[in-house]
Amino acid sequence: MKFPRFSRKTLCIPYAVFLLFFVIAPMLVIVFYAFTDTNNHISFYNFSQFFSDPVKLSTIAYSVVIALITTVVCLLLAYPVAYILARSNLRKKSVILLLFITPMWINFVLRVNAIRELMNWIGILGEANYFNTVFGMVYDFLPFMILPLYTSLLKIDPSLYEASADLGGNGFTTFTRITLPLSFPGIVSGITMVFLPSMTNYVVSDMLGNSKVTIIGKFIETYFGTDWHMGSMIALILLIIVLATTLLTGGFKEDENIRGANL
Amino acid sequence: MKQKRFSACLCAAILLFPCALTLGGCATKKTVTLRVFNWEEYIDEGGEGSFIYDELHETDENGKVIEIESDIVTRDYMTRYEEDIGISFNKEGNHIIDDFETWYEKQYGVSVRVEYSTFGTNEDLYNQLKLGDKYDLVCPSEYMIMKLAAEDMIEPIGESFFDEENELNYYVNNVSPFIREKFDNGLMKIGGETHSWSEYAAGYMWGTTGLVYNPETVSEEDLERDGWSILCNRDYYKKVTTKDNVRDSYFVGLAILYREELLALDPTAPDYNAKVTEIMNRTDEESVAKVQDILLDMKKNIFGFETDTGKSDMVKGTISMNFAWGGDAVYAMDEAEKQDVSLNYFIPKESANLYFDGWAIPKDENRSEETRQAAYAFINFMAKPENAVRNMYYIGYSSVIGGDEVFEYIEYMYGAEEHEEDTVEYDVSYFFGEGAALLTYEDQLKRQLYAQFPPEEETLRCAVMDYYGENEIRINELWTKVKGETLDAWAIIVICVSVAAIALAVVFVKFGNKIDLKRKPKKGYTLIKQEELK
Repeated sequence: MKFPRFSRKTLCIPYAVFLLFFVIAPMLVIVFYAFTDTNNHISFYNFSQFFSDPVKLSTIAYSVVIALITTVVCLLLAYPVAYILARSNLRKKSVILLLFITPMWINFVLRVNAIRELMNWIGILGEANYFNTVFGMVYDFLPFMILPLYTSLLKIDPSLYEASADLGGNGFTTFTRITLPLSFPGIVSGITMVFLPSMTNYVVSDMLGNSKVTIIGKFIETYFGTDWHMGSMIALILLIIVLATTLLTGGFKEDENIRGANL
Repeated sequence: MKQKRFSACLCAAILLFPCALTLGGCATKKTVTLRVFNWEEYIDEGGEGSFIYDELHETDENGKVIEIESDIVTRDYMTRYEEDIGISFNKEGNHIIDDFETWYEKQYGVSVRVEYSTFGTNEDLYNQLKLGDKYDLVCPSEYMIMKLAAEDMIEPIGESFFDEENELNYYVNNVSPFIREKFDNGLMKIGGETHSWSEYAAGYMWGTTGLVYNPETVSEEDLERDGWSILCNRDYYKKVTTKDNVRDSYFVGLAILYREELLALDPTAPDYNAKVTEIMNRTDEESVAKVQDILLDMKKNIFGFETDTGKSDMVKGTISMNFAWGGDAVYAMDEAEKQDVSLNYFIPKESANLYFDGWAIPKDENRSEETRQAAYAFINFMAKPENAVRNMYYIGYSSVIGGDEVFEYIEYMYGAEEHEEDTVEYDVSYFFGEGAALLTYEDQLKRQLYAQFPPEEETLRCAVMDYYGENEIRINELWTKVKGETLDAWAIIVICVSVAAIALAVVFVKFGNKIDLKRKPKKGYTLIKQEELK
C-alpha cells in the first residue's frame, strides 16, 4: 500500500486553515460588528461616535504616549545591555542573557502582583499612577526589546569594527556608522514588540495604576461587556494603528540583516 | 486512488470508534445532564474553607492541623444526611454538587450529571447566552434577571416548584419571608405585561452594599455625618476605594446627589422603601450628568477603582475604607481578624443597594421535562437549610433561606452566653420569622452579623436597583467619561503632531536615499545623467 505523498503545498494546509479560522474570520467578525448596530443594520454611528467623543480620543492619545514612553525607556535600557552582552568576551554570556529572560517564565499576572506589593511597601502605590504604569510596562516588555537587539548586534561581523578602527574611526564614529545602522532591524522589531502591546496591556494599568489610568485596551474590555459594536470599532481602530506602524517600519524587513533578528 | 480512499476510510473508522463506544454506553443507562452556570467560587466546593472541613480541623499552637470533633457536623450532616439519603461525608468536606448527584438519584431514581461552569460578571453570562450557549440553570443578579426576562431569554418557573405540600420543595418551604415578599412584590415589565420576579427566578444569595472601614483610622462621626459622600471627603484623600463597575459607582453617585432628599424622607412612613427605590432608580439625563460630575470629583479623591484588590488592601492597611458588597465585607473582616486587625461595616444613612443573585432557567426548546425537574431539584437542594449553611459559610454571602438550621448556625457563629459581658439582644425576626432573636456581642452590631443580616429598619432604606432598560447606553457612556482620560484639545494636537513627526522621520530614514531631492551639485562638479555616463 502506498502512502499519499505530501508536496510542500500540502504542508501549508494546516497553517492556512488555522489562519482562516483564527485570524481572518475573527477580523471579519470585528469589522462586521464595528459597522452594525444592535439590530444588525449597517451603521456608521460607532465610527462617528468614536471620533466625536473627546474622551475616547484623549484615551487613545494617552495610550500612545504611554506606549511611546515605554518603548523609549525600554530601548535606552536594553541597548547598552544587549551591546555589552554581544560584544563582550564573557564566558558566561548565556547565563546573563538567561537572567534577563527568566522573568518571562513566571506568569505575568504574578509578576505584576509582586511589583504591586513592592510599590506598596516603598509607598508609591497610588501616589504616581502614571509612573507606576509605565514602570510595570517597561518591566514586563524589557526582554522583548533585549532579545532582538542582542541577536542583531551579535550578527555584526567583528571585522567591520576592526576595519573601522584601521581607517581611523574612533569609538563614537564606529557606533554611529557601523553598530547603529547594522542593528537597525533589531531596533525596529524590538519597537514593534514593545509599542503595540503596551497600548493594550490593561492588566498593568489596572493593577499598578489602581484603575485610575485608562488605556485603550481597557476600553475595549469594558465595551465588550455591554456593547460589542463599539468595542469592535475601537478594536478596529487600534488594528489600523497597528497596521500603520507595521507598514511604516516593515520596509526594513526586506533587508537581509533582519533575518533572525525579527522574532 | 482506490488505496487512498481505503486508507482514508480506515482512518475515519479508527477515529470514530471511541465516539461510537461512548454513544453506545449512553444508551444502556439513562442519565440526565444538567448544565449549571454559576458565579466563580459561589458554591461549596469542599476542602479547606468549607464548613465541614473547618469544623473538623483546627490548627494547634505548633501550627499543625489536627482533627477535632464538632457537634453541629455530627448532628446535621454525619447523622441526619447519612440516615436520610445515604450521603457519607468525609472529613475533608464534600463538593456539594457530588452530594446533589447522590441525593437526586436516591430521591428520584434517575441518575443526574451536573456540567458545572462558572462566569465572572453578569455581562459575561449575558454574552454567553446571546452567543447561543445552552444552560439549564444560571445564577445572575437581580438586574440581569430583569434584563433576561425583558428580552424573553428565560422561562417562567413551573407551578410544581411552588407546591408547598411536597416536602422535597425545600425552597418554598424554607425561603425567608423577607425575601419572598421582595420577590413577590418586585415587578418587571415583559412585553407590556407586568410580572413578579418570583415567576421567573428563585433566590440564592442576597446582601447589601456598604462601606468597610478601619475604626482606628476612620472616625465614626465622619461616617455618620457624610454617609456615601465620605468617598469625596478630602480628609481621606487616597485612603478610600470604590468598585470598578458602572452600577455600583452610579448608585453611590445617586445617593450623594439626592442625599438631602433621601434624608428628608420619613423612615417610619409605610411607603418609605418605595420612595427610596424610586430615587435610587433615576436615570434621567439631568441625574446622569450630575452623577458624572460627582464621580469625576470622587475619582480625584480615591485611591483607586478595584474589583478584588480592595479586600487585601484593607487588611494590609493601604487604604482605610472600601466600598464593599456585604459578603465581601464579611470575608475582609474574617481575614483581618486572622491578622489582628479589626474592621467594621457601615450602611450609610441615605440608602444602600439591596441585591440578589437568583436561579433562572434560560429558554431552550430542546430541554426535556426531566432536565427541567432536575433543575428545580437543584434549586431545592441548595435551599435545603443545611446546604444553605454550607454555601453561606464557603462564600461569605447570606443565603435567602431562613430555616431553623440557618438561624442555629447564625447563633452558633455570633451568639453569646448570657453570663458574658457586653452582650446585646439582636432581632432578626424579619428574616427568620417571629421570635427569632439572638444574644450577641456588642461589636457584632458593626461587624459580620450586621453585614450578613442588617436590622430590619436598615433594610428599609436599601433599594433594589432595576435594569436600566433603554437608558443603559447613557449610563455606560457616563462610565467611559468617568474612567477615560480627559486631555485638552491642544494636548491631543501636540500628541498627534509629534506622532506624525516621528512617522515622517521614519519614512525619511527609510526612503531618504531614494528620494531625488534635485540637489544642486557641489562647486566644481556637474550633474550628469546615468545614460550619459555610458
